[in-house]
Amino acid sequence: MKAWDWESFFEYLFSPYLLEGVWVTIWLTAASLLIGLVCGLIAALLRISKNPVLQMPARLYIWIWRGTPLLVQLIILYTGLPQIGIRLSVIQSALIGLGVNEGAYLSEIIRAGIMSVDRGQFNAARALGMNYRVMMRRIILPQAARIIVPELGNRFNGLLKFSSLASVISLEELMRRAQMLTQAKFRVLEIFFVASIYYLILTTIWGIAQARIEDYFERGYSQKNSGKTKRLVRAA
Amino acid sequence: MKRGFIYLFVAALVMTQTPLVFAQAKGQPLVGAPPLLRAGKLIIATNATIPPVQFIDDRGNLKGMRIELGDEIARRMNLEPSWVNIQFEAMIPGLQGLRWDMINTGLFYTEERAKLMSLVPYELQAISVSVPKGNPHKIKSTEDMAKRVVAVEVAGYEERNIKAINQEQVSKGMAPMDIRTFNTFADCYQALKAGQVEVVVSVDATAKFYQDRGDFERAISGLKGSPASLAFKSKDLAEAVAKVLNEMKQDGTYDKLFDKYGVAKIYNWDRWTGSFKIH
Repeated sequence: MKAWDWESFFEYLFSPYLLEGVWVTIWLTAASLLIGLVCGLIAALLRISKNPVLQMPARLYIWIWRGTPLLVQLIILYTGLPQIGIRLSVIQSALIGLGVNEGAYLSEIIRAGIMSVDRGQFNAARALGMNYRVMMRRIILPQAARIIVPELGNRFNGLLKFSSLASVISLEELMRRAQMLTQAKFRVLEIFFVASIYYLILTTIWGIAQARIEDYFERGYSQKNSGKTKRLVRAA
Repeated sequence: MKRGFIYLFVAALVMTQTPLVFAQAKGQPLVGAPPLLRAGKLIIATNATIPPVQFIDDRGNLKGMRIELGDEIARRMNLEPSWVNIQFEAMIPGLQGLRWDMINTGLFYTEERAKLMSLVPYELQAISVSVPKGNPHKIKSTEDMAKRVVAVEVAGYEERNIKAINQEQVSKGMAPMDIRTFNTFADCYQALKAGQVEVVVSVDATAKFYQDRGDFERAISGLKGSPASLAFKSKDLAEAVAKVLNEMKQDGTYDKLFDKYGVAKIYNWDRWTGSFKIH
């Protein structure tokens, strides 16, 4: 057995079978993050409300989903729930497991972002006659986003790798496809090196996207765009 | 008085040392390190999720036919068995990476694997198909499995074969099976119990075990009969273990163990030459 086989390496690098797995990892991560953002935002808004009836469900949700392992959640969703008559497909189980779990973590990040916005901004928005929805959408959340986005990058990177846990309920993502390829020739190092390259490509692409998003929310704060801001001010 | 203590001490020392001396006299280890990774120990990897041949009982102990086989091999070589319970897909990389001396998990013998490792075939295994009690989809052959949701353990002989069978059927114009891979057979059977899959493809002994226990029905058995083997990185160690297996066959231990669990002996393999050896 050769120490390193370039032929196998390139074969795996361009293997359509593995690329299908990469695609599953991409949409699974993206969809889970979206579900997580929606769940997280709702939970964060409930959590900061002063009404205990609204606060309790959010606290309970975060407590349960953040306090139990993702692996356990996935297995309960997929093989546990049918016992009481709820049958979720593999993809449904994976999306709910990953997305809702992610939401529990994101809600705390979003809450931290909202709480970092100066009280004066809330008061000013109210003084201008904005209702809750308009205030959140136009004043608070855009400022909170500046704090949230860097941490979101951490979560995305984590999620990209956590998504491989969905293989326990037979979802064939990148990691599982790589495992399946090992049995043919046992070129373990080559296969998992290729898989690592794909993970790195995905995290790098996200890194670039995140930098863009950060720039967007930074405008008006950073020195970098001050020229642009001045122009905007002058135009106004 | 002081001298008395010294005598007592010496006597105690002699007494505690005696069993050790006796044990050494009973037998030197038949192999040293190398080829063993650690002197005096036989590190054996298994995937204890396949009752009745390799599983964890409700007290957390390793149990089963292959566990007894591994313990007996180690005992006869005057080695202490050290078990590593790990997922199947880590087995071969771990052997190559010098994590364990021997794989004892019912590894199917294939030409490809024989080129990579020293394989000693020792048991015959065939693929079985398990279905829920009452066989709701009336599965009698692999052709009846078309369109069905089929669970199989990832990266094993069963997965490859059921996929090959499926491919063959598809090329004949039949509908494909929906084959899903799980980490272990235990996960496959859990999914079958939950109704998430309709069929589990596993091995004869496991399917029989669940049928005997009354959980699932064995709808098909004896598919693609093939020898399972013990795997080694070191050829010397493989030869030493083959020698022990031959002794076990001679004195009837091998037959007795296999009959106890209802596992097929290697004797009916077409390449069986009358004794255990590296193939």
